[in-house]
Amino acid sequence: MKLVRSELLKIRTTNTWWIFALIMLPLWALTLGINWLQTDALAAGNTEGVPPEQIDQVRALMDQDALAANLYTNGQLFGLLIVMLLGVVVVTSEFFHQTVTTTFLTAPHRTAVMAAKLVAAAALGLVFWLLFTLLNIPAGAAILGSVDVGPQLGSGAVWRAIALNGLAYLLWAILGVGLGVLIRSQIGATVTGILLYLGGTIGAITVLSLLANRFGEWINKLQLLVPSLASSLMVSGVEIPGNPPRWAGAAVLIGYAAVAGAIGVLTIRRRDIS
Amino acid sequence: MSDGQWSPSTGQIVVSGLTKEYKNVRAVDNLSFTVEPGRVTGFLGPNGAGKTTTLRMLLNLVTPTSGTATIGGRRYADLTDPLRHVGAVLEASSAHKGRTGINHLRVICAAAGLPKQRADEALALVGLTPAAKRKFKGYSLGMKQRLGIAAAMLGDPRVLILDEPANGLDPEGIRWMRGFLKGLAHEGRTILVSSHLLSEMQLLADDVVIIAAGQLVRQGPVEQVIGSMAQGQRVRVRTPNAEELTTALKAQSATVAVDEHGVLQVDGVDAPTVGRTALAAGVELHELTTERPDLERVFLELTAGKAGIR
Repeated sequence: MKLVRSELLKIRTTNTWWIFALIMLPLWALTLGINWLQTDALAAGNTEGVPPEQIDQVRALMDQDALAANLYTNGQLFGLLIVMLLGVVVVTSEFFHQTVTTTFLTAPHRTAVMAAKLVAAAALGLVFWLLFTLLNIPAGAAILGSVDVGPQLGSGAVWRAIALNGLAYLLWAILGVGLGVLIRSQIGATVTGILLYLGGTIGAITVLSLLANRFGEWINKLQLLVPSLASSLMVSGVEIPGNPPRWAGAAVLIGYAAVAGAIGVLTIRRRDIS
Repeated sequence: MSDGQWSPSTGQIVVSGLTKEYKNVRAVDNLSFTVEPGRVTGFLGPNGAGKTTTLRMLLNLVTPTSGTATIGGRRYADLTDPLRHVGAVLEASSAHKGRTGINHLRVICAAAGLPKQRADEALALVGLTPAAKRKFKGYSLGMKQRLGIAAAMLGDPRVLILDEPANGLDPEGIRWMRGFLKGLAHEGRTILVSSHLLSEMQLLADDVVIIAAGQLVRQGPVEQVIGSMAQGQRVRVRTPNAEELTTALKAQSATVAVDEHGVLQVDGVDAPTVGRTALAAGVELHELTTERPDLERVFLELTAGKAGIR
């Protein structure tokens, strides 16, 4: 507990967290705009021009709960990236500023230090989730009102999506800590994180859809194994026909976070600090 | 102190058979020495001798290939609340550049379970209170060293370990550090300081541990280590009658050399003997000085040919 308090104090006494929050604001506004347009289109209920094999999926997205869930979890694409990078910085800044020596002198039990870092990063992820959820609820309700849909805040499915979104923020912060241990260089880890998150996602979709054309539709289900796609699946609000179930997305992400955290702890325990 | 078994007499550092092998090098090679409480011990060696690696193994930052290093009978990793027993200053630049000095110390206090006001007290101890709320990137090198010492003093430790603390300090800062460390040793604490500033070490240290190429070269009180050198004393003599005096001294079985300024360098006899010999020979003397070997000369002779490039 002492160590967690120390880690949180480390975060609070530097500028990184609010600079990241400031970077996040315009990105949040951008995705809100895009989601507004999408909500507007979907709420009109127009299925013209939609290929027949996708009609079920589109209808599912037109569900009022799905519309609301999408708006209340707005900003996830960049939000997860930002909290992952914060997780990275929690570790790499110690190597960058050589404070890791002091940290391990103060607490020679490195497993406890890493556990404290994982908890602190997860807490920071939840703070970001809370911040953007508090922004999303009034903004989302206003957009729903503009297309004559109620705020849907009485719906269990919507709240489930919001909660699962919080879980996603928490897990991505942990993934970041693991990545930070594996790649100690601040710049190296940040760049790798961004490339894996954005490039890896697009790359995986492309490769999987090519493979799906060759070997059949079932391969598309492997999308679930791509961490960022797994997390967007978690917050869809409703089951979308043809997609894997939402709990599977959560399970995959928890698996990745556990592996990243475990690798991080085991690596740092054995490493010489010089 | 939270730990009742701890007493000043156990503030002894014992390094025993310590070895660290990297891929192709033995950075530290079967090194053994002890450091006593109540004294300042200088840890000396050429660059690359393995000083920093040894200190880091002592502090559980680097895992030894074999051997042990204990402080007060226990490994660093086994100390409960290590900061209350051992303070260490390893790198001058080890604080987040965007964090203020006081916050740097508060972060450490939080992790060590020390009260927050210890941060203010430690800053005052090293005279940094006016810079408490300045960010670390605005600190001079000397201020960074002082902040490092403040961090090491947070838990009021019995043992203090410093790696090259005089680096980047101005003469005033070095004098301050000397007084500070001597004062702490006087209180019965164990002070281990690595350095390559030999003239400073001669002023500061009571004992020295000299290593080269990862191995122990000499250990003991400074005077004893200097006195152990075979060379012993040398006498400088200036005289207008150099030839006469040289002949007279050689009769006393002294060896005499003349340097480029015409000054005689006399080995084998002491200054009173030289004076008496001169008087008996009726030779006029302008200077008669005993040259004691200093730590620097001893160090260079002991470590000659064992430089760090391996």
